[in-house]
Amino acid sequence: MTLSIHSLHPVFAAEIGGVDLTQPLDAATAAAIESAIATHGVLVFRDQRITDEQQLAFSRLFGDLEETRGTGISKPGEQRLHPAFADVSNLDKDNTVLARDNRRRLYSLGNMLWHSDSSFKAIPASYSLLSGRVVVAQGGETEFADMRAAYDALDARTRDEIEDLICEHSLIYSREALGFGDLTPEEKATMRPVRQVLTRTHPVSRRKSIYLASHIGTIIGWPMPEARAFIRDLTEHATQRCFVYTHQWRPFDLVMWDNRCTMHRARRYDPTQVRDMRRTTVAGTAMTAAQEDRAAA
Amino acid sequence: MTMNTQTISGVFAGEVTGIDITRPLPDETIAAIEAGMDRHAVLVFHDQPLTDDTQRAFSRQFGELESAAGGHVTAVRDRRLPLDMQDASNLDQNQNVLTRDDRRRFFNLGNRLWHSDSSFRAVPAKYSLLSGRIVAEQGGNTEFADMRAAYDALDAATKAEIDGLVCEHSLMFSRGLLGFTELTEAEIAMFRPVCQPLVRVHPVTGRKSLFLSAHGGTIIGWPVPEARAFLRDLTEQATQRRFVYSHRWRQHDLVMWDNRQTMHRVTRFDESQPRDMRRTTIAGTATA
Repeated sequence: MTLSIHSLHPVFAAEIGGVDLTQPLDAATAAAIESAIATHGVLVFRDQRITDEQQLAFSRLFGDLEETRGTGISKPGEQRLHPAFADVSNLDKDNTVLARDNRRRLYSLGNMLWHSDSSFKAIPASYSLLSGRVVVAQGGETEFADMRAAYDALDARTRDEIEDLICEHSLIYSREALGFGDLTPEEKATMRPVRQVLTRTHPVSRRKSIYLASHIGTIIGWPMPEARAFIRDLTEHATQRCFVYTHQWRPFDLVMWDNRCTMHRARRYDPTQVRDMRRTTVAGTAMTAAQEDRAAA
Repeated sequence: MTMNTQTISGVFAGEVTGIDITRPLPDETIAAIEAGMDRHAVLVFHDQPLTDDTQRAFSRQFGELESAAGGHVTAVRDRRLPLDMQDASNLDQNQNVLTRDDRRRFFNLGNRLWHSDSSFRAVPAKYSLLSGRIVAEQGGNTEFADMRAAYDALDAATKAEIDGLVCEHSLMFSRGLLGFTELTEAEIAMFRPVCQPLVRVHPVTGRKSLFLSAHGGTIIGWPVPEARAFLRDLTEQATQRRFVYSHRWRQHDLVMWDNRQTMHRVTRFDESQPRDMRRTTIAGTATA
C-alpha cells in the first residue's frame, strides 16, 4: 500500500490517502504514517468508517493509549464509551443530547479554548486521533495551530526569554477561564497542576515549538498576573491565521495530530444537533520537566 | 494655523495637525474635533506638551471629567494623581517604578486585555484622553480596535443572535482572567457587576458597534461558561488586525478615543523603566 500525502496548509497539515484504517496495517505503513506526522503535525484521513475496536487497534500502533479515567468530571458508570476513549460528543450515556446547562456540557466548552491534549498530565499525550462519527452541518470545526512555525516566527529576544521557562498546567486553570469554578475538592485533587517546559523540542523532527495550552495558569518564578498576560500574548501570536488549519468535518473523517507540536480547539456549533466525535489518545513516554517534589512542598 | 484631520494610512484612526491643544480653543474647533471623533473614533495629536491643568482644561470642553474613584485597588491616599486623572503609569506616589510583586502593578496588568474604559460603571465613559509624558522606548503601544467595523463584519445570524443580549461587566472579571483574585471585601463591593448591552448605538452617528470588554464576564440568562466562550469568540473576531490601529507613542502625544465605539489595550513593555501616562476621562451622560 502506498500512502499519498497532500498538503492542506502552507506550514503544516496533510491529507493522507491510499490507506484503509479499518484493516490491520503492516509495520512499514505505520512507520510511514509516523514519519508523515513528524513532518506535518496533523494528518487527515477521509472516509474511514471505523468502529471503536478498529480505532483502538489503529491507535495502538503508535503506543499505549491513555485512559480518560480521573481526568475529567465524569464519574465511573456515566461514561458512554470504552475508558480508552475521550468522549468529545455532546451526548449522554443514552445518546441523548446534553441539556444547555448540563455540567458535563459546560465543562466540555473548555475545548473551545486553544489547548494541547493532556498537557495537564506530568507525562503529556503524544498523538490524538479523532473520529467524526456524526458531524454537524454548520460549525463544529476543529482548528489546529502549528507551534513550530509559531516558534520560528518569534523574534530572537522572545526565543531567549522563553528558552528555559517552566509553566504550570491544570484543568482547573482552563475551566476557571470560562468561569466553570464549581469543582469539587475531589475533582480539584485529581487536577493538581503539573510542570511543562515552554520551549519544547520534538523527539523525531528535533524542531522546537512553543508548548502552550489554555491549561497554563502560571510560569514558575513569575507573579501570576504577569505570567498570564505573557502567555496570552504568546498564544495570540501562535494562533494567528497564518499558523492555523481549520478542519471542516465530513462524516468518517479521522484526524490525527501530534500534541507535542500543535494546539487545537473546537469551534462553536448548534448544541441541539447531535455531534458524535470519539477520541483515542496515545500516551507520551516522558515528562518535559521535573515535577515539584510534593513531599517537600 | 488651520486644524486638519487626516486618516492614518490603512486604519480608521485620524491624526490632527495644525492645532495647539495646550491653549484655550474656540467652540467651532471643539465642534470640529468632536466631529472628527464621531468619524474616526480615535484621534492622535502629536507634540502637545500638556500639564495636568492644560490637559484638564482641554478635556473639559468635551464634558464632565469622570472620577477615578471605584476603579482601582490603589487607596485614594496612596494615589499619585488627583481623582480627576487616571494614572496609567507604572509609578507609585513617590515617582518610583512599582516593583514586580506590587499589587497595584498586578491590577494595572489588566490593561493588557482588550477593554473599553469604565464599562464596569453603570454609566460608562464617553472619551478617554491619554497624554504620554514619559513613553516606553520599546513596546507599550496602545492598540485600538474599531467596534463599528467589527459589528458590520458579523454575519447576519450572529447579528440577530446578539441583538438584545445584556452582559455583566466588572473589574473582578478582567482581573480574574489574570488570576488576580485576592480582593478585599470593600473592593468586591466596589467592583459589583453592572449590566451593559452587547450591541450599542452611537448617540450621534447612529452606528451600531459591539460593546465588548475584558470586564464582560457573562451574558444575562446564559450559563457562564457558554457566555464566556462566546464573548471570547466575539472578541477574537473583533480584534483581528484589520480592525486594529497600533499607536506607537512619542513623548507629548495625546491620544483621544471614543469608548462607545472602540476597545483598546496596552502592549508589553520593559516595566523597569518609568512610563508616565496620564488619562482624563469624559463621563458618559446616559446608560448604554
